[in-house]
Parts: sequence; structure tokens; C-alpha cells
Amino acid sequence: MADRVRMRGVTIHRPIIYGNTAVVLTPEEKALLPPNKQEHTHRWTVAVRSAASVPDSDIVGGADDLSYFIKRVSFKLHDTYQNPNRNVDKPPFEVSETGWGEFEVTIRISFITEAGEKTVSVFHHLKLHPWSLLVNPGELADPNPEAAAKLGPVHSWQYDEIVFNDPFQSFYNILIAHPPTPLPKHKRRPVPFHTSNPGSLEASKGGTPEFTLEMEKEEGERLEAAKRKVVAEQEKWRGILIEKEKELEKLQKMLLTEQA
Amino acid sequence: MAGPSAADVRSILSLGPSTPSQTQTPLTRKPSMRKPEGMTRELYALLGPSTPTLATQFAKPRLKQKPKLGSNGVDKDAQEAVAGPSSSGGGRVRWEWREFKNGARTDGLKLKHWVNAATDPNAEYPPAKYNIQPNVYVYSLDEYTRWLSVDKEWTKEETDYLFELVREYDGRFYVVGDRYEFPNGPQRSLEDLKDRYYSVCRKLIRNRPWAGDEASKNQLLSSFQFDKEREVTRKKYVASLESRTPEQIAEEEALYIELKRLEQTERRFKKDRDELLRTLYGVESGLPDIISDEDGLNPSAGGGLSISVSGSGLSLDTKKRKKNGGDLETPMSASSASASVIQLGPPGQKKQQPAKNAAFDALQCIVRSEVPANSNKSSHIPVFFRTLKTPIPRSAVASKVAQLMGELQICHTRLVMPTRENNAKLESLLEAASSLVETKKLVDKVELDIRVARERLGMVSENGGESGGWEESNVAGRSASAGAEGSGAGGAMDVDEDAEGEQEEGVDASGRGQSVASVRSAGRKKQQARRSMSISSVDTAATGGPHKKRKR
Repeated sequence: MADRVRMRGVTIHRPIIYGNTAVVLTPEEKALLPPNKQEHTHRWTVAVRSAASVPDSDIVGGADDLSYFIKRVSFKLHDTYQNPNRNVDKPPFEVSETGWGEFEVTIRISFITEAGEKTVSVFHHLKLHPWSLLVNPGELADPNPEAAAKLGPVHSWQYDEIVFNDPFQSFYNILIAHPPTPLPKHKRRPVPFHTSNPGSLEASKGGTPEFTLEMEKEEGERLEAAKRKVVAEQEKWRGILIEKEKELEKLQKMLLTEQA
Repeated sequence: MAGPSAADVRSILSLGPSTPSQTQTPLTRKPSMRKPEGMTRELYALLGPSTPTLATQFAKPRLKQKPKLGSNGVDKDAQEAVAGPSSSGGGRVRWEWREFKNGARTDGLKLKHWVNAATDPNAEYPPAKYNIQPNVYVYSLDEYTRWLSVDKEWTKEETDYLFELVREYDGRFYVVGDRYEFPNGPQRSLEDLKDRYYSVCRKLIRNRPWAGDEASKNQLLSSFQFDKEREVTRKKYVASLESRTPEQIAEEEALYIELKRLEQTERRFKKDRDELLRTLYGVESGLPDIISDEDGLNPSAGGGLSISVSGSGLSLDTKKRKKNGGDLETPMSASSASASVIQLGPPGQKKQQPAKNAAFDALQCIVRSEVPANSNKSSHIPVFFRTLKTPIPRSAVASKVAQLMGELQICHTRLVMPTRENNAKLESLLEAASSLVETKKLVDKVELDIRVARERLGMVSENGGESGGWEESNVAGRSASAGAEGSGAGGAMDVDEDAEGEQEEGVDASGRGQSVASVRSAGRKKQQARRSMSISSVDTAATGGPHKKRKR
């Protein structure tokens, strides 16, 4: 079958994001909760979306419909939830729930049959409480709901890329029929906060965040700056090493003459 | 800059104004003609009694205005009266015999010179800036054994000696080649020295962590490029050119002219024949309308005048024909035009294709790589998340690297934007970090060795000639183990090789207490013994030779 021919030497990826958004429940909403969920404090949505956002929307990512290559996304919630395995077979690939605690969500992504690929899974730590608590823990030991509600929705998203190696011709054709919306070049909205870049906390405040190419560039620059520092340090230490080696050689020569 | 005039020298030496010299005979003054404007008195005096030509008289030389360095009308007392530099204005300059500090000197020798008293006494000695230290690479023992010991023609001692000379003579290889005299070393030509030096530098650049991007690295690498064979051939060629006799040169030139003439006649013949064919058969001749022969028709300067004249005549001829072809829309020219379009087509398309592909690939997030010829289906890499390919430091140095990353405020376990580029950047950062950690480890090791050697030195001087056999073996063991744990930056593949190199080094270092030469041979023997399974000829290893093949 001609379609089952692999495109050798081709690596094609699709940028995605996964993560969650959480908001504090208002007292009215809380009153509507069934009795067994009375202690729930947050409403959250965990989702897998395309990385680029629709302009002027309050949703992070999701500019493209990923169902052209994703068949199913299953979210494994905490065991205390009713039927914790939630399978989502059509977009949007997301699960909304209420809850009171943070936990690890296992996200399993299966691809359409044309891909001929196995399911992949990834973990996401469901984030309910504001990031500022994490960065300066002294601020609020016990998150009080009023203050947290004031800070607005909590966003926790991880950018990632799903990489296909040597795709089948048919799958390749499907993929290239759906080019991903490129990420905006410049920052238009707040930066999605990430624990790997604590400095982005300020930039992450004030609205729905959006992933941009600028973030990639910024991170690349941070890595390069760090490398320059490391290399400078390395030069210094190499100098010290060479000095020391010379000293050692001298000492050994002295030893030689002493023994002779 | 203009040199000091007699007046300046006088003012420096604090002498009075010059008195009219006795040697000036009245004869020179005798001519009634006045000294022309703009001509110095001294020059005028040199002319003697002969009348200057009209040219010198009327052409007023345009000279730069003489710098006002001082006045010659100041006598000694008056000059001493103007003490401070502030009062030395108005054409009066005080000169001082002053000590100065030469920043280029390291020996602290103090010299004195005459300076204008108005200058800042603490100013940098201006010529000091020309003392530029050439950036000569240095390498550690570990680096040497890891990357530089491949060339068995060279020992570390000799390489050290070469680098020392290059440093001492500021990289002037002619001087280095002249002074090069390594005891018991083989005869080295200038090209040998250059080749070794540049190859070592290239290896160091290539293997050391690089802070900039690839392009700048390659640029630096190319500046250290040296092709020994080519250089030797070039020198031979130049020597043979220089050693030609005048007859040979004349003959060569004659032959060259003859060759050009023949070429031209042939071309003319061909043209005439084509012309004839075209007129006889038209399109059926299958000949292109225009023959581009300009390239051949530009005779070089050595071709002689007559040829160049005839050549230009020919090229004029072709130009005329081109014009004709353009004016008359003959089927011939049309076909040739279309042919040329077709000919031009493919290269143009080829140029466009990759650019279009790149844009397409960038949009579609496609990365193409060369497929290895022997790839089979079983080697398929399944789909993965990019985050799973986040590079991790090697386990041997992982904790130290993690600590370093913490200091740099880089989270190396997870990136915000784990794209391919950023993963690669993180990887090179981790590589640089682990090599830094290893260098620090090596420093610790050498420090320990220094301490041991110091103690031994103390022991030896106390106990006379007693040899510290225990410590020798101790040192050897330690450095060998250090070598085993400090694997190379090149990745897991190099571990074995590095351990070997280090082992050799370990033995080498320990044994230097006895005899350098004998120990080295011992080290090599050890290695050879290990390799003797595959290599049949195991002889004395002191010569080195091509037994050991290490490829990178």
C-alpha cells in the first residue's frame, strides 16, 4: 500500500500546550454544589490544546482544532472523583470539574489510526492556588479564598511539541493539510507563568496569558547567557589548572634532582 | 611628525640663543638676491652662490605650519623663571628629564626621557599600547591526553616547547623555526611546526565549550587553518620559479605567446566553420547562434600587444553579430533564445525550491535530515513529547551540574519552551557545565598531587636519597582512578579512551620522579600490551609510531 510508506528523514511536530485554568468558586456557585462536593473551593479545567491562542479570546491556546491528528485524550483524575478516567474523543479536549486540592493529572493522548503511533502520556500537576504563593511563600501560608479570587484565574500551562519521526505518507498528508497557527512573534498579552522562569511572575499578571515566540527567544537567550558565564568560568579554571600543573611539574623536577 | 629643530634642542638643553655660526661665510650672503619666501635658511645656504631656478623662486612651497614648540630667544635665566607648567604657555615650553613608567614592562626597570613639562606625569607611556600579547593557547595535561596526544610524532614535552617558543616570539614562525632546537628531538621544518601548532589550536577550539554560536566558532577555526602539503608545494613552486634562468624565462614567455596564438587561430577556425555550417544548413546545423567566447578572448597582459589587438577585434566582431541576431527575428535566433531559456530554467528553479521549502517546513514544523543508507524499518523512533527529550547531565557529574544550574538560576529539568533549538542550547550549556565541573575536579586532584609532592620533597630532603616508592604508586593509583571517573565531554563513547589516556598520564606523572623517558615507554608498553591481541608487531614502544590508532 502506497500510503503506508514512511517519509524517511522527515521529522514533523505539532506544538501543543497542556495544563489547567482554575478559578475560585463564588459563594453562589458553592451553594449550587451537590452535598457531597460542599467542601470544593475551585472550578478548574484541564485541557490539551494547540499552542497558539485565538486573538482576543480568554482561552489559553486552542487556535487550531487538534482532532485532525489526535483521536482521544484521556485525563486520569484523582481516585476520589467519580469515574476518574475521563475520555474525550472530540474537541475541545478538556475536562472541567470542581475540587479543593491539587493533584497529578495523567494525560494520555492517542492518535488517529493513520499515524500508526502508540499512545503517549504526560503528567500535569493541577494548579489551583496562585503562583505568587509559590514564589514568595511567606505571603500567604493558608490561601484565603477572597484574596485568591482577587488575583483572578490561575493558569498553569506547559508548552510541548508532539514529534513524529518518519511519518507515513498518508499521515504526513493529513498533517500538512493542517498547518499549525504560528505563535505570535511579539507579546500581546501576559506571559504564561512557568516555574522554570520565576522572573516571569510579574509579566504573567493581568489577564489571559498567551504563548509567543518571544518566550522561546527569551529562554534561548537566558540559556546562552548562562553558557557564556559557564565558559568564562571554565576559562578561569583552566588557567588555574595549567598553573597548578606547571607547579606540580616543577616540584616533580625538584624531586628528581633531589633523588639524583 | 616633524623632528625637533635646532631651536628645540637648544631649549631642551637650556642653552642660550644660537649665535651666528662661524662657518657661515660671508660668501653665501653675498648674492644680492633675497632669500625666497618659504625656504629655510639652511636650505638656502646649501644652494651656495649659484642662482636658484625660477621654479623654486616662484613656487611657494606649501608646508605645514611649524609647530610652536618653543622660542629660541629665551635665555637660561628667563627659562628658569617660568617654573610651573601652567606658565609655560605663549610659545614657551619647558622640557623635563623625567622618569617614566612603561606599562609594557614587567621587570620594573625605570628609564628617563625628555618630556614636555606640561604633560601629565602619570600618563601612560604612549608606545606601551603596541605591546600586544598574542593569544597563544595553553592546554592542561588532561586536555593534552584527551585530544592532543593523537599525533604520535610529537611528545607533550616537545609540544610544550613549541608553544613556549611561539609565545616567546609572538607567533613569528620564521623566528620560531630558526630558534627551534628541541634536545633529542627530530629535525622539524617550519611547516612541521606550523602544522603542529595550528592543528593543536584547532583541536582545542573544536573541543572546548564554545560560548558563541557555530558561525563564529567556524570563523575562528578557519583562521587556524593550515594545509601543510599545500604550503610545502607552494614553497617548492616559488623556489622553482625563482631559480629559473633568464633563458628559461624567455623561452617560457615565447611558449606562452605561441600557445595563445594557437588557441586563437583554432578558435577562429572553429568560428569560421560554424559560420559556414550555419549558412549552409541553418537550424539543422544544431549550432547555437551565439558562441560565448569572450572568456577566451581576453588575453592576459603577458600575451603581447599584437594578440590583444586582434583579440579585441574579434570580440567586436561577435558583438556585431549579437546585434544582428537581436534585430532579425530569424527562426534560428528564436530557437536559440528558447533553448537558452530552457537552459536557464532549471538552475533558477533549483534556487527557488529550497527557499520555498524552508518556509514550508518552518510553517509545518518539519525538520528534514539525511537518511542513512542502511536504515531499516525496525529503527523507527515512535512519537514522543519534546519535553521527554530534555537533555540531562551525565550521572557522574549530575549533582554538581545541578548545583551549578541552581547558581545560574536555570532549571535544567524542565524548559518553558522546550523547542528543538532550546533543547540544543540547554544541552550545550550542560556540556559546558559538566566540563567545568570536571576541570574543577582536576584542579583538586592536581592540588592534592602538589601537596603530596611537597611533602615528599620535605621527606626526601630530610631522609637524604630515600625514594618514596609508596607515594609513587599512590599517586599513580589516584590519578588513574581520577581519570576513570572524569570522563570526557564528548559523551559516553569516549569514556574508555579517556580512561586509557589518563592511565598513561597517571603512570607518567608518578614515574617522573625516576626518568621521564623510561616511564613514557612503560606507559606505552602497557597500552600496547592491551592492544597486542589485534596488533601483531609489538616492539619497543619508545618510538611511538603508528601502532596506536585513535580516531575521533
